[in-house]
Amino acid sequence: MNLIAIGCSFRNTPVEVRERLALDDAKVARALGELSGRFACEAVILNTCNRVELYLARASEPPPGEETVAEFLGELHSAPAELVRRHLYSHAGADAVRHLFRVTASLDSMVVGEGQIAKQVREAFERSQKGSATGSLLNVLFPQAVRAAKRARTETGIALGHVSVSSVAVDYVRQVFDHFEDKTVLIIGAGKMGRLTLKHLRELNPKRVLVTNRSPEKAEALARECGGVAVPFGQLDDAMVQSDIVLSTTGASEPIMTRSRFEGIRRKRKGGPVVILDIAVPRDFDPKVGDCADTFLFNIDDLTKIREQTIAQRQKHIAPAEAILERECKKFCDDWAHRKHVPVIRKLTESFDQLRQAQVKKLFGQLNGKLGDEERKLIEWSFRQLQNQFLGAPIEALRDASKDGTSANLLEAIRKLFRLSDS
Amino acid sequence: MGITHFCFGLSYLTALGMDLWQGWHPSRWPRLVSIVFSVAGLFAHTVFLALHQPSPASPYGSLLLLAWVFAVFYTYGNLHRKPYPWTIFVLPLVLVFVTLSLVFLRERSADEELWFSGERFWGMVHGTLILLASVGITLGMICSVMYLIQDYRLRKKRNPFGAIKLLSLERLETVNRRGINIAFPLLSVGLLLGAMRLYGTGTAPDWTEPKVLGTVGLWLVGGLLLYLRYGAHLPGRRLAWLTIATFALLLVTLLTSHPFAHGGTR
Repeated sequence: MNLIAIGCSFRNTPVEVRERLALDDAKVARALGELSGRFACEAVILNTCNRVELYLARASEPPPGEETVAEFLGELHSAPAELVRRHLYSHAGADAVRHLFRVTASLDSMVVGEGQIAKQVREAFERSQKGSATGSLLNVLFPQAVRAAKRARTETGIALGHVSVSSVAVDYVRQVFDHFEDKTVLIIGAGKMGRLTLKHLRELNPKRVLVTNRSPEKAEALARECGGVAVPFGQLDDAMVQSDIVLSTTGASEPIMTRSRFEGIRRKRKGGPVVILDIAVPRDFDPKVGDCADTFLFNIDDLTKIREQTIAQRQKHIAPAEAILERECKKFCDDWAHRKHVPVIRKLTESFDQLRQAQVKKLFGQLNGKLGDEERKLIEWSFRQLQNQFLGAPIEALRDASKDGTSANLLEAIRKLFRLSDS
Repeated sequence: MGITHFCFGLSYLTALGMDLWQGWHPSRWPRLVSIVFSVAGLFAHTVFLALHQPSPASPYGSLLLLAWVFAVFYTYGNLHRKPYPWTIFVLPLVLVFVTLSLVFLRERSADEELWFSGERFWGMVHGTLILLASVGITLGMICSVMYLIQDYRLRKKRNPFGAIKLLSLERLETVNRRGINIAFPLLSVGLLLGAMRLYGTGTAPDWTEPKVLGTVGLWLVGGLLLYLRYGAHLPGRRLAWLTIATFALLLVTLLTSHPFAHGGTR
């Protein structure tokens, strides 16, 4: 398999170098054109904030190596080739397949199980395909990588839970509430983390979003941004009576909600639990508020702890995911080898069949009338046996070479030796 | 046919064992084995009930019938596996019902009519209504247990994606509420029919019969549950405990003898 994966990632390259090697859309298009034009190879470029990788393949000879790619990237970025080459790694053949499968399944990501990388791999492939930079190998390899990654993610726990604080917060909300079209969300304050969490909460499609802030202008601005309603800060208690989910993210130095004040609000609120996400530091809600009936209070420490537990739990599922990817990698390599050598074996056999039949026909013509049926059958059988014994060794050698991944040269040699056409 | 309680009881037990194993070591074959045994158990249970037709008037009959209803729930849930393993809360209850029924196992007495015989139509209707009400209360109890576990996990800030993923509190409360909302009217009509049958005997009914007292008590507690939910807006955790208490009362009522069993007054 003439395949190579060359690139750099957060594991071996500092961010300043990665930034220098990053490719925008225009550079990617130019690079793909040059790779397929200048080097006559299939190419897919995977360019994310944590890695830049080139997947190159050729039909009948090895694709460009590290040195050539380093010079190419250096030329593209007007950077010294030596600087680039120092940070590159490469994987060839089955190792390149394995690497791609691991990357797509997020096993090589900063956070194992993150969901974006599979989409990024798919988009990188589609971009190359659209630019006619892919061929027979990459057209099969990349879709298989996406499928293998999906298997690893669904059959193990590597993608279990969420690892961002705001997503963990929404997970907790979903443990309390089943549907959200009748729920009201209240956001107190306008901190950055609060906005991110609100973005996730809005994806649940709540009935209403109320926004309150000590600064009416900030409340109005955030309400416009999120399609909510601004509420004066003085009416906080009334807003809390109506709200099922409260997101608090003020910069107050003292708690804005004590237990006694909250109990008064709770008494007015008829039925139903309330979830309070207090992600402010220092905390906005007195921790004793969480002891009230049907009230669930989560602060930033609670959410961070779950995030860390989730990351630790995902680690336990890496080995089973690796095992799945290893099986998928082997299957792909075996299928690819089979795909390459079967047509050659068929042509070789057909070619010899024609020679054998022509020779037998000629012999029978010369011995016309002197042979009975039994003798004819014996002669045909003998010629067939001779053909099988003659072809047995090269076919077995080809199959063995396919398993080792070294069949490309042997295939070429057989084509030339026996003058097999490509049609 | 040779089917006994042990046939379906052991089948359910095996299915439960496979479900618990699946929770520890997820793989395909425990689930397949669990499905096979749960379907086999349900089949044996159904055939047993069809052949023996235990009366819902007796503790033995009502327990076996309740076990059957929840075995159907379990098997359905097992076949259409959702991500929430609520089935592991149902099957232990089925096993408890089957085991308790063995404690009250007895031969049908000569004067006790077959439940499906149609000889005592209103008796059959009364029994069926009380049984269906029991299903509603039991469902409410199962949801209440899950509610309390989920509530505890949330208060302790446990990882929402821990070993057992449960339904949300709101969903559990909804199913609980529906169970009680269905049970109460059924219980009311069943109780009314029972009272009419008692008066219909021509002799004064004995209101101190444990079964009668228990059923009336159940009705009162059911009514209280409805009031506390809709009128007083009691918090979910307290409602869950009250539902569990209602189930306990139901169990006690089911385990007492019916006035019409053992040649009692008709």
